Amino acid sequence: MSKLKGKVAIVGIGEVPTGRFPETAAIYHGMASAKMAIRDAGIDKDEIDYVMPTGALYSPAFNTELVTCRIAEELGLKNVKKNCQIFAGGSSSTCALEIAAALIYSGAASMILFVHADKLGTGVTAQGAIDLFSTAGISAEWEVPYGQHYSAVTALSTMRYMYETGCTDEHMAAVCVSNRKWAELNPNAFFRKPLTIEEVVKSKMLSTPLRAKQSNMLFDGGAAFIVTSAERARDLVEKPVYLLGEGGVVTHFVYSQEPDVSRFGWAKAGRMAFEEAGLTAADMDLAEIYDSYPIFQIIGFEELGFCKRGEAGEIFLRGETWPGGRIPCTTNGGMLSQGHTGAGGSVALLVETARQLMGKAGDRQVPNARFAVETAVGGTYMDAQVSILGTEIP
Amino acid sequence: MDAPKKPVPVVNPWAKPFWDAAKEERFIIQKCTDCGKYIFYPRIACPHCFSDNVEWVPASGRATVYTYTVVESNAPSAFIADMPYVVAVVRLEEGGVQMLTNIVGCKPEDVRCDMPVEVVFEQLNDDFKLPKFRPAAK
Repeated sequence: MSKLKGKVAIVGIGEVPTGRFPETAAIYHGMASAKMAIRDAGIDKDEIDYVMPTGALYSPAFNTELVTCRIAEELGLKNVKKNCQIFAGGSSSTCALEIAAALIYSGAASMILFVHADKLGTGVTAQGAIDLFSTAGISAEWEVPYGQHYSAVTALSTMRYMYETGCTDEHMAAVCVSNRKWAELNPNAFFRKPLTIEEVVKSKMLSTPLRAKQSNMLFDGGAAFIVTSAERARDLVEKPVYLLGEGGVVTHFVYSQEPDVSRFGWAKAGRMAFEEAGLTAADMDLAEIYDSYPIFQIIGFEELGFCKRGEAGEIFLRGETWPGGRIPCTTNGGMLSQGHTGAGGSVALLVETARQLMGKAGDRQVPNARFAVETAVGGTYMDAQVSILGTEIP
Repeated sequence: MDAPKKPVPVVNPWAKPFWDAAKEERFIIQKCTDCGKYIFYPRIACPHCFSDNVEWVPASGRATVYTYTVVESNAPSAFIADMPYVVAVVRLEEGGVQMLTNIVGCKPEDVRCDMPVEVVFEQLNDDFKLPKFRPAAK
């Protein structure tokens, strides 16, 4: 168990709307988000001593600019001692949070700015994105030659889960509807029109049993957050968002090597994080579960202990995860409705978790939210990452 | 415009015996002589006990479908002409080791989880034959 419980906090967040902005350079999304996060924390920009950008997928040139300190220079941050990229695909946010926390706890850093920006909505064509995601995180020797890609990866997990549990198309669709209910209240979400179960189950089949409206879409976007010590945080903001627990399990590289593609490492990762926090699923006011496709939200929800295996579909269908429901889940609308911005899909969810706990979530604010579990996962669901965050240290 | 060429396996040196055998329609996998466990895909050391004593052994080619999907749209460019095609994870008779493959030799809609299948080899180009699986003979 780490020594990080209650030692650091998120004090500022920033995010630009997710969408298609062909005229806007990706760096803008990062800088705008970073500026917002610095102002949100109420700090002087020169207090930032560590800039931690994550990776962008769409352009090697832009990625190089992130690595070579463009954010620090453009924002005029005068006291940055390190600019260091942390990249773990879709789990970059959660991995970076733990690394940032450790750096602060050790004294190596005092005020860390984490930034993500990407341009997957207009930086690549639709077919270009499909081709990119038929090789990224997919083994060039053992899987690429068989026509594997992300829809197929997801479909393989969905198929086995449905086979083992009896979960139906309607249950999967209910996850999409639940996320949309939240996105309707989220000004930064791309998809904000109401969605019905019928629309989802009648949408085009991609890879059986996965349908088009059960699939995230790629967009441009950016988000940022600032981490500092708990002590400093209390001087800065009314409600610091403390890191209470962290867990993670790296399960595979080649998808087919994962022995249980309908569970992965979530139960173990969740146990680690909850034990460190001294809390359980029953204590959580929010379940901010990484989606990208409904099956992964269902698996996460169940394996973290919010219900028994096979029951999540009914819970989503009954509206218990909706605004006003018993256990609000993925309250920014997730990648299924806010939209997927590469590594930023998980950054958006971590920023949303902090936003809810800070009480800054506007129309979709969950009243009196104190504790939240937040998850992230990279590539072909190869790592299960869990954070417990809260406004109190239990 | 011609469809892009099919991607060929990017072969790691230690896996070359697998692909050489596949070209001759022989299906071999590794086995650890220390812990006795079967290994796929080929590794430089046993992933179970980290022994260097791994040997190549013939596999029966019999397996069951662990999970599968029929790719009906949005395939990678090189596979668009193949749609609908079946991507599956199969579990080999040898220790339940898993591999990704395509299920061929039947209608895509006839594939099921846990159905028995057997290996066949499909010519990819002059250098490669890919092991794929078809429904097992009764």
